[in-house]
Amino acid sequence: MGIDMSELDEKLSVILDEYSDDEQSHAVLDEVIGDVNLQYQLSRYQMIGDVMRHELPVQINHDLSHQIMARIGKIDSVDKTSATSSEYSNEPGSFWSWAALRPFAGMAVAASVALVSVSIWQSVSTNPEQGQINESVVSVQQQKIEKLASQPVLGNTVTVSSGLGKGMRWTVINDAPALQQKLNAYLVNHTEYSIPMQGLIPQARVAGYDSQQ
Amino acid sequence: MGTNLLDAELVKRVQAGDSVAFDILVQKYQHKVVNLIGRFVSDKAECYDIAQDTFIKAYRAIGNFRGDSQFYTWLYRIASNTAKNYLASRARKSPSYVVDVEDAEHFEGESGLKEYATPENLLLTEEIRNTVFAAIEALPDDLRSAISLREIEGLSYEEIAEVMDCPIGTVRSRIFRARDVIDKELRPLLE
Repeated sequence: MGIDMSELDEKLSVILDEYSDDEQSHAVLDEVIGDVNLQYQLSRYQMIGDVMRHELPVQINHDLSHQIMARIGKIDSVDKTSATSSEYSNEPGSFWSWAALRPFAGMAVAASVALVSVSIWQSVSTNPEQGQINESVVSVQQQKIEKLASQPVLGNTVTVSSGLGKGMRWTVINDAPALQQKLNAYLVNHTEYSIPMQGLIPQARVAGYDSQQ
Repeated sequence: MGTNLLDAELVKRVQAGDSVAFDILVQKYQHKVVNLIGRFVSDKAECYDIAQDTFIKAYRAIGNFRGDSQFYTWLYRIASNTAKNYLASRARKSPSYVVDVEDAEHFEGESGLKEYATPENLLLTEEIRNTVFAAIEALPDDLRSAISLREIEGLSYEEIAEVMDCPIGTVRSRIFRARDVIDKELRPLLE
């Protein structure tokens, strides 16, 4: 580096007394930091002064600086490890970085809540536009049902399904109009409410046992 | 580079990530820090543990050191607080006297430390002390005067030049030669 050893030793002594100019001191410090023997020499120069001033402890710990630097080495390695993982997770260009996703996370939660709310609301309420269509359908269906309900039942029995076997018949009693009205009203109500309700079949089946069973 | 600017330069390098620069600061101030802690804690092993903690705390905090005070004043404050916290945590009673931060660098170092030394290290320390004083006694008068005025009296190069009636360059050379002679005697003990 252009400084011979004896000259360097003297400069080492001078920077300990802080009597060199900045440029010279920087050059000598660069040499010291790169040479462990110069560090020991500087330490011994320091120790000579400590002894002369009676500042040397009764018992010195010759390894104190080594122990401290070993602990600092561990601290630095831990800090570098955590800094590396932190840099990885917070890499500016990383799509998956938490910092990049954080604004969207809130939006995603809000959107999910809104979606669920709308779905629930749709399931329990009628879309106004769809409601108009349903109303017209209901009114037509209602007219048919009322017409059917008002017709007199012929015979004692009505075969609900031609495929059914004996005994699975519904006996309608002609002289029981109240029961007939009740059944018809049920069918009308069922049809009325089943059309706008999702998942509810508009047809109804009334099943019962023969009076003999 | 004037007074304490060496410290400032070393601090700057540590802040830039150079841990070797911190090692130089540790070696420069370790004995003073241990002596200061010895004012609070008499056990040697505890003294050195606290000294370690002091330097570790300083290293962790040095990024925030802005140079408003001298580095050694800042370091002594950390050492003092670390020792006091240690005593508080152990519920021990601190010595009745308190070392002020400003006075810490001037106190007599040995008086606070008790008989806690192991024989080997005690012998080594004593040997170092004897070797240095013997080497100083053997120095030529001009070298002994120059280094004594510098290290013990704390005079500047200019003041020494005036006292010894010689150029500053001669003072600089004499102090170095004195250190070099003493170092040649000291080195075998520490290797």
